[in-house]
Amino acid sequence: MLQQAFNGLVGGAFYALLALGLAVIFGMLGVVNLAHGAFYMLGAFGAFIALDSFGLNFWAALALVPLLLGVAGAVLERLFIRRLAPLDPLYNFLFTFGVALILQDLMKRRYGVNSQPYPRPPELSGTVDLGLFTYPAYQVFVLGVSALTCGAVWLVLTRTRVGMIVRAATERPELTRALGIDVGRWVTPVFGFGIALAAFAGVLAAPMRAVNPLMGADLIITVFAVVVIGGLGSVFGSVAAGFAVGLVSALGNLYVPALSQTLVFILMAAVLLWRPAGLFGREEAYR
Amino acid sequence: MILTRLARSGRAGVALLAAGLFAALVLPWLIYPPVALDIACWALFAAALDLLLGFTGLLSFGHAAFWGGSAYCTGLIALRLGLPFPVAVLGGTAFAALLALPIGYLSVRLTGIYFAMVTLAFAQMVYFVANQWRDVTGGENGLQGIPRELFGLDLSDPFFFYYAALPLVLAGLFAAWRIVHSPFGRVLVSIRDNPARARALGYPVERYRLLAFVLSGALSGTAGGVFAIGHGFAALDGLYWTTSGQVVMMVILGGIGTLWGGAIGAAIVVQLQDFLATAGFDGSGIVTGTLFIVIVLLFRRGIWGTARHLLAARRTAAPPETAEPKPRSRVDAPT
Amino acid sequence: MRITGWSGGLVVTGLLLAACGGGPSGGDEKISDGGVVLAVLNDQSGIYADTSGRNTVEAVRLAVEDYRAKYGDQAVAKTIEVVSADHQNKPEIANSKAQELYDREHADVILDVPTSSAALAVATVAKNKKKVFIDVGAATTELEGKACNKYTFHYGYNSYMLANGTGSEVTAAGAKNWYIVYPDYAFGQDMTKTFSAAIKNAGGTVVASDPTPFPNDNFSTFLLKAPDLAPKPQVLGTMHAGGDLINLVKQYNEYKLRDKGVELALGLLAISDIHSLGSDALAGTRYTTMWVWTFDEKTRAWADRMQAKIGKRPTSNMAANYSAALQYLEAVQRAGTDDADAVVGRLEGQAVEDMFVRNGTIRAQDHLLLHDAYLAKVKPASEVKEPWDYEEVVKTIPAAQAFQPQPDPACAL
Repeated sequence: MLQQAFNGLVGGAFYALLALGLAVIFGMLGVVNLAHGAFYMLGAFGAFIALDSFGLNFWAALALVPLLLGVAGAVLERLFIRRLAPLDPLYNFLFTFGVALILQDLMKRRYGVNSQPYPRPPELSGTVDLGLFTYPAYQVFVLGVSALTCGAVWLVLTRTRVGMIVRAATERPELTRALGIDVGRWVTPVFGFGIALAAFAGVLAAPMRAVNPLMGADLIITVFAVVVIGGLGSVFGSVAAGFAVGLVSALGNLYVPALSQTLVFILMAAVLLWRPAGLFGREEAYR
Repeated sequence: MILTRLARSGRAGVALLAAGLFAALVLPWLIYPPVALDIACWALFAAALDLLLGFTGLLSFGHAAFWGGSAYCTGLIALRLGLPFPVAVLGGTAFAALLALPIGYLSVRLTGIYFAMVTLAFAQMVYFVANQWRDVTGGENGLQGIPRELFGLDLSDPFFFYYAALPLVLAGLFAAWRIVHSPFGRVLVSIRDNPARARALGYPVERYRLLAFVLSGALSGTAGGVFAIGHGFAALDGLYWTTSGQVVMMVILGGIGTLWGGAIGAAIVVQLQDFLATAGFDGSGIVTGTLFIVIVLLFRRGIWGTARHLLAARRTAAPPETAEPKPRSRVDAPT
Repeated sequence: MRITGWSGGLVVTGLLLAACGGGPSGGDEKISDGGVVLAVLNDQSGIYADTSGRNTVEAVRLAVEDYRAKYGDQAVAKTIEVVSADHQNKPEIANSKAQELYDREHADVILDVPTSSAALAVATVAKNKKKVFIDVGAATTELEGKACNKYTFHYGYNSYMLANGTGSEVTAAGAKNWYIVYPDYAFGQDMTKTFSAAIKNAGGTVVASDPTPFPNDNFSTFLLKAPDLAPKPQVLGTMHAGGDLINLVKQYNEYKLRDKGVELALGLLAISDIHSLGSDALAGTRYTTMWVWTFDEKTRAWADRMQAKIGKRPTSNMAANYSAALQYLEAVQRAGTDDADAVVGRLEGQAVEDMFVRNGTIRAQDHLLLHDAYLAKVKPASEVKEPWDYEEVVKTIPAAQAFQPQPDPACAL
């Protein structure tokens, strides 16, 4: 059962990374990015293309692909999302939905719906003895890296000047502006960073999961539920909820397989009944 | 009373109404009848959603739960009980309303984008439940062989069925219109525009929203029920979030807050999909996605909304009551 | 099509009169609507787009070519058209498309239709419209059982063939204890049922069988559970297909289950899956198939023709569709008409032998095609001599053993 729990945490790592990106983007821009799953998918494909067409190995892809996609995301924000920002958030929501559909379909046309092969990096293909059980090395790596990444983001947000500005801009934009800080210039980089996180999760997923155009669509709705559970404004909440949901899902799969897919939504309904703003969310979510 | 309202909306209103009815009656002559029926069903679905989106200001991304849920319920009533199909559709409508009650209750505590996400998640839950409850819904296989019973009449030709089903669709559309043009409808609009003020005036905002949600869900159920009988089939796809997304797109394409815009949006989207499928074009997602983006960026008023806006501008009278995209500062004071 | 004004009205009236006037006149009196229309309905954009998809249409076109070459001027069907539609693996779309194909495109026969739920939907449509439907791609045994009808045929393979081949053979070879994982939908459930029966018949035991969500990309729960079951299973049987299968095999290799003594057996494997995973990921895995392109001269020759048309080697599904189309046209030739009832009469009980079908018969009682099947093995990359040469035939399962020996009593034809 311990192994299952570990499994759950690994699955939760992906939820956490994606939820983190979503939360950061929402916090800064007020945009619910439905294209997040598509960028995750592009990250995985990026790794595949890097290997297939350019011979770049996993580590190069891990560094390069999130960077490239982050820039792409920043461009998207600059050109389009910014224009819709003053309006009802509904429009950005739908815009990102359209982007997701297009990206998915483009990849489908180019690569078909069947999965592309992507091998695990040779340095990580063995198993690791964790004392109580042995576990595939790659999964341990994923868990470690995502925990580190989430931790690093948390540190940046709480300990650095940049992070302070971002948090202030998120919670009190007018006041921040009044204090002479140019909030606007941080919007684009933060969006790009959120997208880069999604792509990063995608590259991590490539050796473990099927690389196909639909991989993001299936995942994104669960991630939404995770973010609602954690609290939409809260970075910490999203990450914590991500790991928690992963854990609960895996254990649920073991004991109550019939409920496995609905478990996340039942949790969400329960959280909403008790705390409509999510576990760590702020009151603005309510009403 | 209806006639005075018609008279008030002027000759233009009457003319448009007549044109709409004529179009509805003549449609199966111009298009492959099953496609005509699809357009009618989606038009009602879009109007139902617009009731919630345009007039109450709530974007539900989970209305597929009511469309699809009613499809199954209607199908089961028709299949297992052999009742005439209008009765089955009414049963489906009631089921959709009942389903909307708990979902709405939990969801109307939130607004804006949170409401959208939560309704999306609940609809997915309904999808998974339907998937699991195989004995009743048929699971993957769907509910097959739904009959069209109406006092022994032979309705197997989709051309005749269209006319048999049209009264139900028209009744639904009329109900939507009636709800909007009523004191209740006016309160909804005021809640949409300024919930704080409505609350200050003593209106129980959440209860109004809930009622609007349930009515919207019920009418979506009517549309889904007719759809199921028309196809002889109820499937999981009707509960999937892409169905919710599609009806939202139709409403926006037609014009939010116009009620009839959705019908135009439905006609365009259904025809477009039919055309793409027949032409063997592979990228329907690209087309749909691009359509979404173009509408959102450039065409937010939608077709009907733009037309109304242009007419009003020309008349230089007070601009019409549309749910225009309001400029809004990104972080609102809690409203 | 917009009809306006008097001229429009005249045209419409004219057409209506012509349609009511009782049958097409002149030319092929026995052929409806002026020609024979073969409709291919399958998945052209989803998980089975590579296994069948648009390339199957090319296979059917080859059948039309061969029919014409064989009969020349004596051909009963002088005008033959091939149309296709995408059902996206959804039964409701298959339902609509089938009706459209029969109504709008005047299809005389619908071919392929993978995905069991879609196949069942089309079978109902075929029954209502009284037109022929030859299913090639779906596994469900219900097509020749509960859902059978006069106009529906099941051609190629079914879950019984797969289970009996792989299940019995692998059990007989010594793997007595099985752990089965299956995708939680109709295909997976059907396969598990048939596999369990075949395994028991061969003297084995199914230790446990677990459904997985469909689709799914994380099988760790099940893979970790496998070696710890009691009694320990010697083989993990998976009924997954497409992307799920790829995921599962990747993770199976990651968790090194083979080293822990748990072999892998697959319910269904297509050559495109092997190509996706790479030969080594599946090396040694045994499975049952209806056709292998390297089997003999005839199959190679046909595979070469397909390679020229589609740029890669054909799957067994494409070969089966070629054969189904060809045999349908032969039946039309025998019947002298494309009238559905007549053609059905000429298909029932027919002995069939061609590039795809060896020792075949279309059983009259349930419209199931019986033919030789093959137990095959995936070659390791070192033994692959040419591109796509992944499969090695271990043994031929004769027609009498490959399929259900008796028709299902639930089928009342």
